[in-house]
Amino acid sequence: MNTLSSITGPVVDVRAATKVYTTPGGDFPALREVDLHVSAGEFVAVVGRSGSGKTTLLNLLAGIDHPMSGEVWIGGTAVHTLGERHLAAWRGRVVGLVFQFFQLLPTLTVAENVMLPMDFCDTVPAKRRRTAAVELLERVGIGEQADKLPAALSGGQQQRAAIARALANDPPVVLADEPTGNLDSATAAAVLELFAELADAGKAVVMVTHERDLTGVAGRRVTLVDGRVDADVAVPA
Amino acid sequence: MRPRTVKLARDLWVARGRVTVMVVGIAVALSGVGALLIARSVISRESAAAYAATNPASATLDVEGGVDAALLSAVRARPRIVDATARQTIFTRVLVEGQWRRMLLFVIAPDDPLTIAGFRVESGAWPPPDDGLLIERAADTILHANTGDSLAVAGPTGATTSVRITGTVYDPALAPAAQERTGYGYLTPAALERLGFTPVADQLKITVGSGTVDRDQSTVDAVARDLSGWLTSNGQRVHQIQAPPFQHPHQRQTNAVTALFLAFAVAALILAGALVASTLGGMLAAQTRQIGVMKTVGATTGQLLRMYLSAAVGIAAVATVLAVGPGLMAGYGLVDLVGGLLNVDIADRSLPWWVPAGFIAAGLGIPVLVALVPILRAARITVRAALDDHGAGSRVGLRRSDRWLARLRGNRTVLMAVRNLMRRRSRLALTVVLLAAGGALFTGGLNAASAWRAWVDNGLDRRGYDAELELAQPAPADTLLAAVREVPGVTAVEPALSVAATPADAGGRIEVQRTYPDGGHGRFTLTGLPPGTGMLDLEILDGRWLRPGDHNGVVLNQAASTRLAGPAIGAEVGIAVDGQVSRWRVIGVVAEVGGPAIAYTTPDALAPITGADRVSAIRIRTTGDQQTVTDRVETAIAASGATVTSTMPTSELRNAIDGHIVIFVYVLVVLAALMATVGVLGLGSAMSITVIERTREYGIMQAIGATPRVVRRLVLTEGALTGAIGCFVAIALGIPLSALIGDLLGRLSFGLPLPLQVSVGGLATWLVLIIVGAVGATLTAAQRAAGLTIRETLSYQ
Ligand SMILES: Nc1ncnc2c1ncn2[C@@H]1O[C@H](COP(=O)(O)OP(=O)(O)OP(=O)(O)O)[C@@H](O)[C@H]1O
Ligand SMILES: [Mg+2]
Repeated sequence: MNTLSSITGPVVDVRAATKVYTTPGGDFPALREVDLHVSAGEFVAVVGRSGSGKTTLLNLLAGIDHPMSGEVWIGGTAVHTLGERHLAAWRGRVVGLVFQFFQLLPTLTVAENVMLPMDFCDTVPAKRRRTAAVELLERVGIGEQADKLPAALSGGQQQRAAIARALANDPPVVLADEPTGNLDSATAAAVLELFAELADAGKAVVMVTHERDLTGVAGRRVTLVDGRVDADVAVPA
Repeated sequence: MRPRTVKLARDLWVARGRVTVMVVGIAVALSGVGALLIARSVISRESAAAYAATNPASATLDVEGGVDAALLSAVRARPRIVDATARQTIFTRVLVEGQWRRMLLFVIAPDDPLTIAGFRVESGAWPPPDDGLLIERAADTILHANTGDSLAVAGPTGATTSVRITGTVYDPALAPAAQERTGYGYLTPAALERLGFTPVADQLKITVGSGTVDRDQSTVDAVARDLSGWLTSNGQRVHQIQAPPFQHPHQRQTNAVTALFLAFAVAALILAGALVASTLGGMLAAQTRQIGVMKTVGATTGQLLRMYLSAAVGIAAVATVLAVGPGLMAGYGLVDLVGGLLNVDIADRSLPWWVPAGFIAAGLGIPVLVALVPILRAARITVRAALDDHGAGSRVGLRRSDRWLARLRGNRTVLMAVRNLMRRRSRLALTVVLLAAGGALFTGGLNAASAWRAWVDNGLDRRGYDAELELAQPAPADTLLAAVREVPGVTAVEPALSVAATPADAGGRIEVQRTYPDGGHGRFTLTGLPPGTGMLDLEILDGRWLRPGDHNGVVLNQAASTRLAGPAIGAEVGIAVDGQVSRWRVIGVVAEVGGPAIAYTTPDALAPITGADRVSAIRIRTTGDQQTVTDRVETAIAASGATVTSTMPTSELRNAIDGHIVIFVYVLVVLAALMATVGVLGLGSAMSITVIERTREYGIMQAIGATPRVVRRLVLTEGALTGAIGCFVAIALGIPLSALIGDLLGRLSFGLPLPLQVSVGGLATWLVLIIVGAVGATLTAAQRAAGLTIRETLSYQ
């Protein structure tokens, strides 16, 4: 397993993070002093109304955005202090990202999409990449689709491929922004189940979602209201 | 293969149309660069080598009465003189199919070892028999004769003698006969005597140095002056010293013109680079989200930079390989063309190492450097910005500067096209720059070409005479003019009195002349013209023209002004005639097309030097058949006791000038066409990117009821608008550029900047080319946009 998982304490540690967008109409606080702690093996669902700051929070975790104040620690790294140059390589190894619109590269096959992070981060020896990618695809249940182009896959299959890609470098943290938003409910349930399995396997999973029924999937539910953490409760198993 | 390499390869394959355009753009421009690199390097080297191989004299001293064997060996024994020989040059005429042509006779003793100013016998044998001569091989077109034919060569009295051509020689030290409109003949003193001339080997030719020949001009001048002083102290009279530069008479022009053309070709290559930048930029813009995704999975800016840069390098490399063949073909074609024009054998066709090196460096370096701009921008985008990218110009309307767009009123299609153009300003800017630069160079090239022609036309129009007849010796003006005036068909006659002169420096020392052995290049004369001349109306550049009573005033043409180091109006200059320095005040500077460096003055002012009322040339205006009239004039002149050595119809002068520049005008036009090609390719590629980017939008438009026709018209309008903007900028830029090129070309060919000439035909051609090109280039894209089904467009990623 990843060396980071040996670190004690929360893998995700957000302390009083504030994010303000400057717009022509004035400053707009999208996040206000948000605290969030997620340990390895935990599955946290972030919910809230549209515009409440969910994506903004996820962007801070992934180092895509920087907080105006507060701190973001991931696996012992102070992400808020990293520059763009170090962020890319760090992100590739530590964070797996899954988007609502899958975002597979259209001219690469599914397997090649999964191999891409291994290539950029040079984590898996070139010869073993293909085998590793197919293993991951089998793990998410689409091993037989490995050599198709993304356009030939259904939405659910594409999202599974995207999850496999997020796992390519075996990151300790998996972040997902409405990964089921574009899927029918049966497919969505299967994808949620997949994330739950990842958490069971020891990853810290943070997922923004509009799904109502998270019973038996997520362990905690964090509710954002106007950029503040309104509730952080355990979900009944 | 690595996934990122696979991605790159597939993306390029998907965009193969645009990739092809980029490759073709670079290859076309690079072929031009390669061709000119080849032409320039080989021709400079070979013409220099051919010139040097003749071992031209370092200096030629005109010694009155000739140089005998004893004197010659005394000269050879002098310090710093490597070798010496004595020759004679006769300027005469030859009757070619009823027309007089200039003929230069090089008289060489049979026992001359030909070690100085040598030549290669190509056919026949040296020395020729007493009734024969050899001609320079390139003179056949002027003489309309070849080995075995006979020439009617004029003697000192004007009567012709038939001389057989017994062979040809190759003499690359001379400006080509065809360009000079002069026949070159090589014969022995005995053969010269047969023509009626007196053989006097009065040209002492020396090579300077100690052991080896030293070509340093100041050394040569010093040794020649020193020798002249020694000869004078030994009782000889030295009339003049000639020490032309150690290079082919046309070398400097050839070098400069090929350098200019090379600059043109490099500019075309930079344009092709801009084409690559704009096309790649468009392709990268369409990939913004993918770049964001790659960054989220760990791609660093450096990795993305290397990845896309390798695409640019690959494209440039393919183009470079493709340009090798055409570049070689065009280059060696040009080498042969210019070699033929200069009458220089290309003995060695090899390329110096820096030609292939420069070719590869230009082919890979320039496009890649230019492409670096969009690649850097794309690779450095933040994940945030990349993921937020919602396609072409989604941020339009957010900029303050966009507000005017909303207020535009008018034709809906044009309006939409304008707004669309504004969405990708940097691409619009790049496309416009591409079109504008292409257009500016195109119109600039054509303008310069047309200015060149106009300048020659104008210069010749300013000569109000139809022919000039030069006399062997100055003759009494009154009797001669009266005789010529009587000739039927002559409507006007004017005298001219020219003496060979040398600029003298401030210390009164006689300048060593820079005249070449052909007697034309580098010549300087002091010429007396009636101040109220109706035969010559030169453009005054400074000061004024001659007035009666200008006793010690001279008006210099630009070449003379340069030779006298550009004296100010009112300045005093020293001019030496036959070793005697006289002082003159500069009263004006005039522009003159063709001909030698001339200091014009009044005949009266020349009287102390030449004697009163003398004339050395007659200028006539004629009606009816010019040939017949000139023949009659010659007869009249002969009857009054003088001899004509040359007749120069003004039309022949035009041929001579055209012969020097025509090829360069053509090359300029070809290069201009190259620019236009790259410009139009750029427009086409920009439009196709635009359409691909907006595929989804066109789908939405069709979904809400726009017909394919409307979509097509919208795209076409956008293309035409881009073309129009490019055109206007091109015209605005083209004018100063034309002035610049004209300045350079003019200085090279006539020693004066060319006047700015706007070629209306060139502008019109460019306009039509761009409109047709824009519509043509956009049509494919428009067709594609209109032909997309709604389902296709909406599912487009
Ligand atoms: N780049 C930006 N500039 C200005 N304001 C922004 C920007 N991005 C987000 N916002 C604002 O910040 C607030 C939070 O946005 P965020 O995208 O985090 O919401 P969200 O909870 O993810 O909503 P949704 O469920 O609709 O995705 C919103 O009010 C949004 O308008
Ligand atoms: Mg969101």
